[in-house]
Amino acid sequence: MEEKKGGLLAGIYSRTIKTTDAAKKVRPLTKKISQQAHEAAAEGRPIAYCFIMSLHDEIIRAMDITPIWTENYAAITAVKRQGERFISSAQGEGFPRNLCTYCTIQEGFDVMRHQLGMMPPDAPDGGMERPTMMLGTGMMICDPRYKSYQTAQRYNDVPVHVHGLLWPAADANLAEVQDYYVKYIVEELRDLVDFLEKQTGRKMDWDRLNEIIDLANKTYQVWYDAYQLRKAIPAPMPTEDAMSTMVPGYFWMGTQEAFDFYQDLYNEVKYRVDNRIGVIPDEKYRILWAAGLPPWFALAILNYFESLGAVFPIEITYHPPPPVEIPSHAKHPLERLAWRFFRQWTQRNEEAQRRSGDPMVEWMLEMIEDYKIDGVLAHRATTCRTIHVGQIHQLNVLRDYVDLPMLILESDICDVSAFDEAGTKDRIDTFVETLEVYKKRKQ
Amino acid sequence: MAEEGLAKVEKIYQDRGGRAKELRAQGKKIIGCYCCYAPPEIITAAGLVPYRITGDVKETIREADSYLEAIMCPFCRNSFDMALRGEYDFLDGFVVPHTCDNIVKIYDVWKYNLKPPYSHFINVPHTLSAASLEFFKAELGTFQRSIERLIGREISLQQLKESIKLHNEYRALVRELYELSKPDPPLISGSERMKVLLAGTRVPVEEANELLRSVISEVKERRDVPPKKPARVLVYGPEIDDAPFIELVEGVGANVVIDDLCVGTRPYWFDVEINGDPLGAMAQAYLEKVNCPRTYRPRTAGRKEDLDNRFGYIANFAKEYKVNGIILLILNYCDNYEFESVEVKDYLQQAGFPGLIIEVDYTLMSIDWLKTRVQAFLEMIS
Repeated sequence: MEEKKGGLLAGIYSRTIKTTDAAKKVRPLTKKISQQAHEAAAEGRPIAYCFIMSLHDEIIRAMDITPIWTENYAAITAVKRQGERFISSAQGEGFPRNLCTYCTIQEGFDVMRHQLGMMPPDAPDGGMERPTMMLGTGMMICDPRYKSYQTAQRYNDVPVHVHGLLWPAADANLAEVQDYYVKYIVEELRDLVDFLEKQTGRKMDWDRLNEIIDLANKTYQVWYDAYQLRKAIPAPMPTEDAMSTMVPGYFWMGTQEAFDFYQDLYNEVKYRVDNRIGVIPDEKYRILWAAGLPPWFALAILNYFESLGAVFPIEITYHPPPPVEIPSHAKHPLERLAWRFFRQWTQRNEEAQRRSGDPMVEWMLEMIEDYKIDGVLAHRATTCRTIHVGQIHQLNVLRDYVDLPMLILESDICDVSAFDEAGTKDRIDTFVETLEVYKKRKQ
Repeated sequence: MAEEGLAKVEKIYQDRGGRAKELRAQGKKIIGCYCCYAPPEIITAAGLVPYRITGDVKETIREADSYLEAIMCPFCRNSFDMALRGEYDFLDGFVVPHTCDNIVKIYDVWKYNLKPPYSHFINVPHTLSAASLEFFKAELGTFQRSIERLIGREISLQQLKESIKLHNEYRALVRELYELSKPDPPLISGSERMKVLLAGTRVPVEEANELLRSVISEVKERRDVPPKKPARVLVYGPEIDDAPFIELVEGVGANVVIDDLCVGTRPYWFDVEINGDPLGAMAQAYLEKVNCPRTYRPRTAGRKEDLDNRFGYIANFAKEYKVNGIILLILNYCDNYEFESVEVKDYLQQAGFPGLIIEVDYTLMSIDWLKTRVQAFLEMIS
């Protein structure tokens, strides 16, 4: 029987309905992440707590270190509606509720595992194993990336390493600064490798790392190409699917599995485009999911939009980075990683300097044009300043360039208590009515 | 006779940008700076006047809600609200260092909406590796070139060294000022000291040095010292940049004799090496010596050594100034301090200094609840 879209939006009785087969295949992959960590723990192999987008991916794969992506695990507990007990556990230790709930769930989990001397009972996917090391990053944004693991040493007295990853402000002269930025990233990654070698007693195999980077670059490309197909009308794949299909890209990058996954995704999306198979039968409005992490426990809000004729053909959040050119002189694998990182984060700076001043706004403007967007929706996760402070500004700037309805919904990434189901539905209903008004006005 | 000492401090404190506006009328350029990581030495060396951007704890947000989320650092929102109301119109430019997520975000919003004639963002690494020091030195070089473009000439090595000397002198005077809080009762109250420090950030460094010298001389001589209170406390926290909270604590039974605050000891407990390469010396001093939880201090030994390395200086302050307890005043949505305060409180507790964590929204419009909590804590430790 076909499932009906637009029922309950959050909590244990909600269910997000996915469109693509690829998205439906993701859950086993997330279970496998935990399973691999359980096996590594049982065999005494090294396990590292990690944050995504930190250039850990290829390096830890090359050194056979098993990652536990703590953000990912927190999101799983939120989907399973089990985050609250871990957030409460962290609160009991004194961590305020307004801290990033990816981190308070990790801290709270660590507290419980530490106090119980065993895995917290009934933890989703068997729980997070105690790491043998924790790998943070000192990035341009996201302070919890270095604070959370530093604090977690209270419960996991294991080595921590933090490497710096910076990119320049949007108004910086790239020609003036790029060499010392890239040099910095290379040296910080070298420090990371030294640390990992010391912790594991293994030497980095640089040739292997180069091969893994090659595979990752191929994976980024096919992932990006698959998403480019989503420009089609009707939309072949929605944002709620992308919130699942990001998993191999962010948690399995540098593996053959991730490449195969995106190759399959590409084929599936292409088939849907070629055969004009849309997410919904009667697509009236196309909405851009602007920067903002989703409420993992309430992705069904996107299905609710669909029940009103609105689809999200594309999103900023978790979109694969567009491919960038690496200078031919960059041969060493750490240089290749550094240049890729630097160019990915600065590729819209020059457009921003010419127009809006904001690279993110530039990306949104591109998407609005390429994906024939009728409205923009941002979700504000109240416990995360990294991405969600600045949304008002971005939409204010965007309004200087496009005349589209825009809405910010507010709840959280993992804290279900921050979600107001009735209020959210009301705001969505009104927003969709506004989309209709704008559409008629333009006709 | 021209005012000096504490009377002059009070005037500058009350008048906020008054002196800066006078200087601007005389043709000086005023450069606003956020936080502790933009070296004022480079601005002074260029013949410009650094001016620390602060908020106003007596004001609530009026206009900033249309630009900034409520989940943001309330100090950033408050100071930006002041700017929207025109209270920073006297600035000829502003400099934002990469301290934390909130400060990073304020740069774009301020620049886009207020369109200052000059703006510059300084990236500051979160780690203390050799590469981080080299990087920060390069960033300070970029900042220096940016300032040179603003003034249309190069800053000479000699000018830079002279400026470092002046700011070192200021830092030494601040430390001397704190010495006056060691006696019991202290010779200067915590709120008076806060006003002195604020005044010092609102005038050129040469004037600040004169001001500090006159304050220290006056305080050493005066007979009406602050009354002895049942407790001596240390106040720890982020951007607590006004006197009312300190007055509140002192009003309910404590002498605030030492602090670990952004407008307090934090930017002043070090010198910049004057010999050798000035950019390298500033990079090292500001990156390594400013004790803010935004900087990750690597663990080199066991857990205890790590905690000593991160928080030992606070315990040393507490011992040196003979405090009975610590008040940890944390701003809502300040992630770094929210993570860190749990560990700081436990560490100091084990060192024999009980602590009270209070989270506030920066403004002190409604302070009765705060007074009650502080009073209860002071009764416990007195």
